[in-house]
Amino acid sequence: MTELAFLGIAEASRLIADRKLSPVELTEAYLRRIANLDSQLDSFVTLTADRARAEAKAAEAAIMASGPASRLHGIPYCLKDIFDTAGIRTTAMSKLLADNVPARDAHCQEKLAAAGGVLLGKNATWEFAHGGPSWDVLFPPARNPWDRTCSPAGSSSGSAAAVAAGFAPATLGSDTGGSIRGPAAACGIAGLKPTYGLVSRRGVIPNCFSHDHAGPLAWTTEDVAILLQIIAGHDPEDPGSAQVAIPDYSLAPTGDLKGLVIGVPTKWLQDEAPPAAATMAAFEAALDVCRGLGASVRPVTLPPLQQYDDSKKVIAVAELFTIHGADLRKRPELFGASLRYRIIAGSLVRAEDYIQAMRLRTDLARSLQAVMSTVDLLMLPTSEPAGKLEPVPPSSLFTRASFTTPFNVGGNPALSVCSGFDARGLPFSLQIVGKLFDEATVLRAGDAYEKATPWRDKRPAL
Amino acid sequence: MTDTPSDDEIVHLARQAGLILPAEYVPELIEAYGHVRRMIGRISTVRPHGDEPAHVFVPSVFLPGKSRS
Repeated sequence: MTELAFLGIAEASRLIADRKLSPVELTEAYLRRIANLDSQLDSFVTLTADRARAEAKAAEAAIMASGPASRLHGIPYCLKDIFDTAGIRTTAMSKLLADNVPARDAHCQEKLAAAGGVLLGKNATWEFAHGGPSWDVLFPPARNPWDRTCSPAGSSSGSAAAVAAGFAPATLGSDTGGSIRGPAAACGIAGLKPTYGLVSRRGVIPNCFSHDHAGPLAWTTEDVAILLQIIAGHDPEDPGSAQVAIPDYSLAPTGDLKGLVIGVPTKWLQDEAPPAAATMAAFEAALDVCRGLGASVRPVTLPPLQQYDDSKKVIAVAELFTIHGADLRKRPELFGASLRYRIIAGSLVRAEDYIQAMRLRTDLARSLQAVMSTVDLLMLPTSEPAGKLEPVPPSSLFTRASFTTPFNVGGNPALSVCSGFDARGLPFSLQIVGKLFDEATVLRAGDAYEKATPWRDKRPAL
Repeated sequence: MTDTPSDDEIVHLARQAGLILPAEYVPELIEAYGHVRRMIGRISTVRPHGDEPAHVFVPSVFLPGKSRS
């Protein structure tokens, strides 16, 4: 049997259902690994070991009595430390919330708990899922398990690092401009930003209301699909929550991409923000794999990348200031320098500017959906492979082009999967974007690609 | 956007917004606002009067048990 900590949700679930694996044994394997190795990564900020042992024991008893209630029953998971957990400190990595203990679970946590999952603890993030990496906030930043001198990216940093390191098979993150997909890319795992409204944000500490998404991260796309099945669905307490039918995502994989048309935003990649040569070579190789699986590939033209960034960031800085203005006025010293820099100018954004940015968002979303109506998927790199973990100028938020933000602006589902390794051994990434609420096709493509390539066979060595 | 405001004007505007910062944070505000102004400058354009922003009010969302579909 594969080392327990590297089983993944799908395999562990099968073994638990067959009574060949005990949730208690599995949970202890993860807790041991975290205790022995997380000092290298700082991927957890709070460990809930006693609770996990109790939940695992209860799951084992229930499964022995009447079988598993879901594919997550008895499976450990963790949460980015911006998901409210009743009775468990939820800090968003900020000194402002150092003693914050929510009274109620986030909607997603309610669903995971109801499915019988075993909560291991809370993961490191960037401060309020926005400013980082930082060394002047409540906890140190997480590190990348493929190279501990490198960044796991942000803001779902600890979540992605923990899954890649085999500290948990499942976690949830949030994504406002790329905060699930960027860390998934940097750490070589699968991370999905679902369609806006598919997964409730209730109980997730907000970053930018109009662009916030919650979603799953796991080692494989198959495992991401299992998590999405559990957390997707309408929540009347989230005003952005959609009322749509939730398909059976386990039926999405077909093992091929026959008949699918993949669009590539070539102008972004060739003219506006050309990736490094090695990154483009990995991307072209991934497209060749997709062609081999039956897809056709053609160029598409989208509005300039910078327009997506400008629209999102003007909206974000205004919404961030609205959320944090009271604290910024009273106790600015409690913010990390990175986050403070990124929200402080929100005080000067006029209502007219905010609404103009929202008007531009309408145009950009329509343009994106028009292009999506001509293809089944878009593909492009998620980001460059991870760089060094070191302080970055906070202004980089405003100046760096992003391949992930356009799909927060449009609200489309977007998955990052591992697409190889660079000369240093750091992961390359492939971003797969779908039509609104068509997570099934995105998951089908990610799963087929992963199964046609060897990248899921290699784990970081700690 | 109008002419670039001076550093003193930026501090004044922030005060009007209720943000009275310790002196050590003022350079952050001035630099960050420069980036935000450039972004705002790029998105500003004359639009039709009826051009609705991306977020509009959907009252049904706020009925108990309802949301947009």
